[in-house]
Amino acid sequence: MKRALVHAALASPAVLLALGWHYGRLGVDPEKTLIWETGIWAFNLLILVVLMPGIARWADWPAVIDCRRAVGLWAFSYATTHFGFFVIFLLGWDMARLGSEIVERPYILVGFNAWLILVLMAATSTRGWIRRLGWRWKRLHGLVYVALGLAAVHYLLMIRSDWGWPVAYASTVLLLVGLRVLKRGRPSPADRVL
Amino acid sequence: MTRVTDRSTYTRRRVLAGTLGLSLLGGFAALRYGRRFTARAGDAESPDTGSALSRGAVDPATRRLTLKHAATHYNNAYEFGWDKIDPVHRSGKFRLEPWAVTFDGLCRRPATFDVGDLMGMPFNQLEERVYDFRCVEAWSMVIPYNGRPLRELIDAVEPMTSARYVAFTSVLRPEEMPGQASPFSSLDWPYVEALTIEEAVHPLTFATFGVYGDQNLPQNGMPFRITVPWKYGFKSAKFIVRITFTEERPAATWHLEAPGEYGWYSNVYPSISHPRWSQATERRIWGKGDIERIPSRPYNGYGNEVAYLYPGSKQQYR
Repeated sequence: MKRALVHAALASPAVLLALGWHYGRLGVDPEKTLIWETGIWAFNLLILVVLMPGIARWADWPAVIDCRRAVGLWAFSYATTHFGFFVIFLLGWDMARLGSEIVERPYILVGFNAWLILVLMAATSTRGWIRRLGWRWKRLHGLVYVALGLAAVHYLLMIRSDWGWPVAYASTVLLLVGLRVLKRGRPSPADRVL
Repeated sequence: MTRVTDRSTYTRRRVLAGTLGLSLLGGFAALRYGRRFTARAGDAESPDTGSALSRGAVDPATRRLTLKHAATHYNNAYEFGWDKIDPVHRSGKFRLEPWAVTFDGLCRRPATFDVGDLMGMPFNQLEERVYDFRCVEAWSMVIPYNGRPLRELIDAVEPMTSARYVAFTSVLRPEEMPGQASPFSSLDWPYVEALTIEEAVHPLTFATFGVYGDQNLPQNGMPFRITVPWKYGFKSAKFIVRITFTEERPAATWHLEAPGEYGWYSNVYPSISHPRWSQATERRIWGKGDIERIPSRPYNGYGNEVAYLYPGSKQQYR
């Protein structure tokens, strides 16, 4: 029951977007709305996933850690949809152009690499892989910070003249990375729970 | 461990974390989607009609137009904000009249005209022209514009032979245009744009006073803008209050902001890729969610009329 609620909450932006699309409520350019909003929700959930261990420790709340994989996988789903919509709407399924676009446009290259990291993390998110990789699993999944950093750069590169949102996201990422670096020296007991 | 936190403290922290999380979510949603939801409610009421005027050369049977609702609810007018829904929803304070336009610089009869004088005839007798509008962001629309050739206005003030360029200055009214007052914008206001004199007097360059037979559309750059259909949309300056004839090449806002991205000429060349957007194709927006992917054309399809203005390598006219 709890699990279902968590998934429902994480899926709600997707459900709202799907409904909005179906009922023609995504504005004059629904393609653009779909691309931007799936991207922003991938970003939101990535930030959440990084905040969760801290929250779990601070409020002694193991349930938060239990949800973490779900949040991570939903972040991956939004990012994949974001990438998929880009390929469908902006490239018109032209896979030959995908290659040249990734090479030519820094913001696409950066975003694509962030997505590759998420693919790697999603693929190794099962119990089996956690066991198989052992201590290396944590190392690997520390890459979430790299993905966040790339996502921030991806967003910053989109600025045409208005920098409010991208800079707010980049500052948040900077703060999270800073906190991570600060606490690196002293491992906490909650880290083992992950 | 000597420091023990008791249960009630943890419970309080959980409640605090939950409340904080929900407030963040609410704040995020309000900031990001608030304007859209208020916007949607009103949108449903506005009729999705095409041109209010059905006279003139426009024959809907032969030339499909973008729906008026789409062309008036999806605009780049950074004076009102960066989001394409901003110009329609944040232009409520904007006063369309009175509106005066000053012609100065290298011309023999510098003067200031009221916009009604510039039209020179009642609004509903102006020429209606259907142009393909091509945004640098690789989307396009087909829009009926109401106006007259810019050349007729330019001839009236008699530019001197030394005048090689025409500079357009848009209005500066931060109290009525929230984008101009925004602390999050890096653009310099007012917006400035410019054309060569040959471009400005070209018969396709259109002094525009309305679209779809409607003058009351600040989101589309009214009461007075120009339309230069073979260039990316930002070259077609909106809210013009001053037209200056110069010998030196004048500044242009987007070219100043990022010269590597936005060339001074900014003609539509599908073969010259923009650092952000491939210009090979465009998404033709028809309205009601209908979007068609089509190949872009050199000079936005107006090559027969304007290509002679640009001899030599196209790179210099990007």
